[in-house]
Amino acid sequence: MARNWLGRAALTSALVLYTVYAAGPFVWVASMSLKTTPEIMAAPYGLPRTLHWEKYIEAWTNSNYGVYFWNSVIVCAAAVVIVTIVGAMAAHALARYRFRGRRFIGAAIFSTIIFPPQITIIALFQIMVEYNLYDSLTGLTLVYVAVQLPLTVYLLEAFFARIPEVLYEAARIDGYGGLEVFWKITLPVGFPAIATTIILNFIYLWNDFLYAVVLISDDQKRTLPLGIQKFMGDQMEDIGMIATAMMIAVIPVVVFYAFFSERLIQGMTAGAVK
Amino acid sequence: MAGKAFRSGRWLAGARLEIAVFLAPALVLFIGFTAYPVARTFYNSLFEIRPNGGESFVGLRNFSEVLLSDNTFRRAVFNTLLWSALEPFIDVGLGLLLALALYAKVPFARFFRIVWFTPVLIATVVVAILWSWIYNFDWGALNLLLRALGLESWTRAWLGDPETALPALIIADSWKWVGFNMVVCLAALHSLPTEVLEAAELDDCGWWAKLVHIVVPMLRTTLLNLLVLAFISRMKVFDLVWITTRGGPLWSTETASTYIYKRAFEWRSFDLGYPSAIAVIWFLVVIAAVIGLTALLRQRERLEF
Repeated sequence: MARNWLGRAALTSALVLYTVYAAGPFVWVASMSLKTTPEIMAAPYGLPRTLHWEKYIEAWTNSNYGVYFWNSVIVCAAAVVIVTIVGAMAAHALARYRFRGRRFIGAAIFSTIIFPPQITIIALFQIMVEYNLYDSLTGLTLVYVAVQLPLTVYLLEAFFARIPEVLYEAARIDGYGGLEVFWKITLPVGFPAIATTIILNFIYLWNDFLYAVVLISDDQKRTLPLGIQKFMGDQMEDIGMIATAMMIAVIPVVVFYAFFSERLIQGMTAGAVK
Repeated sequence: MAGKAFRSGRWLAGARLEIAVFLAPALVLFIGFTAYPVARTFYNSLFEIRPNGGESFVGLRNFSEVLLSDNTFRRAVFNTLLWSALEPFIDVGLGLLLALALYAKVPFARFFRIVWFTPVLIATVVVAILWSWIYNFDWGALNLLLRALGLESWTRAWLGDPETALPALIIADSWKWVGFNMVVCLAALHSLPTEVLEAAELDDCGWWAKLVHIVVPMLRTTLLNLLVLAFISRMKVFDLVWITTRGGPLWSTETASTYIYKRAFEWRSFDLGYPSAIAVIWFLVVIAAVIGLTALLRQRERLEF
């Protein structure tokens, strides 16, 4: 009995320790985001005495933070919408039609999931410059769509292929056309998988740094991750403001997480192939 | 009514036009922004490309230079492979232990799971800045902890010391990714038949024996998949290094990705051919690793959870 009790105590303390390790850094940044830099320097790990919410407003107005935030929102939202529609259409074609070249097209698209981004990034830079899409949010959106497309088609195809044939037979008897079948059967029935890919794509793109740093240089076009990096370069000493900036990037994801934690975890694990 | 032809497959009888309409947008994007860039990188690797548009064919010279005389490249490959070989075991090992704790229904399991998973969602840029503060010499949490424990002599600027910079980054990266491995392991544990684990419970073998002889063999496929996945992802590592150390100090954290980026976009020489050759070589290494590891594990089914 005593041994059992001791084991419990050891286990509990290990779990608590790991929780401190996992959550501590995040809590620390959150507390710093509400303290001024002199306060942080005086006591880096003290809890904030007065909550300086005005720092968030300052980060938003005195720096370009509002612009970065909206750039991120626009690019991610547009890319996720496009990749979902385009990906679902392609997945539907691959999963429900038989045609010559089907296997080849599937294999070509899916194999690129494992490609390291370096194999495209230099050429993408050249292509974007040549087509006047360098340093433009449209260009970044298109690249984001292309980057997430293979994984999206892969996940959706696997799900769409398992939709019961009866539903399609019924649709055929009702005289549905090809687009109607997609619209009225594949999309609603496949919705759980579609929601999963939406979440997955949103998280990946919201956090992306590599493509943005290569394809964007104008300050007015920066997305959040680039903005934070620049912010750090500009305000090297102002740790308090950097912490506020970091929280602005993290909060939308955490809010999203608070509402959809189950589906989000599912989405991230579904993307395990990446 | 519904003939055997319908039953036999999941296929819609469709006009070519329908198929084309569904596939065209994806194919255009795929060819334009994935297939073409890949081909162009291969093409670039045979040229010297200057920013003013000058291109001159150099054959395989870039490749021979990268492979035979580029010491930074060698260092980058060494660092990246070391990183890829070490971190997967930390990530998957810790992830499995945490998943087992949750599976054993410790109190507040739901709370723990949500907290442990949170780092996965945090942007790497934020993780990078956060850990560069934790490793700060004067007020970083790590050094403060060491001082509090009376280990003053162990303190150092963790990211500024060539000896510790790489391990420090590996730890920071695993902080982000353990939670991911945990939820995948947990899902795999929940899909196991409960009788086996209950039987082990009755036999009263120690938890370590249970882990090694029952849990790990039963989760073998999942664990191997996770290891391969972690290995491949580490071969692409870029953001974390770029924001914290830029490959320094003294190339101690240079990775294949940061070196390619530097040679393409940072160096004033600005020749896109040479970094393309590095990218091609690294691409072939990654593909070979994927094919090799997959063949090794003979894992035929798709990775799905």
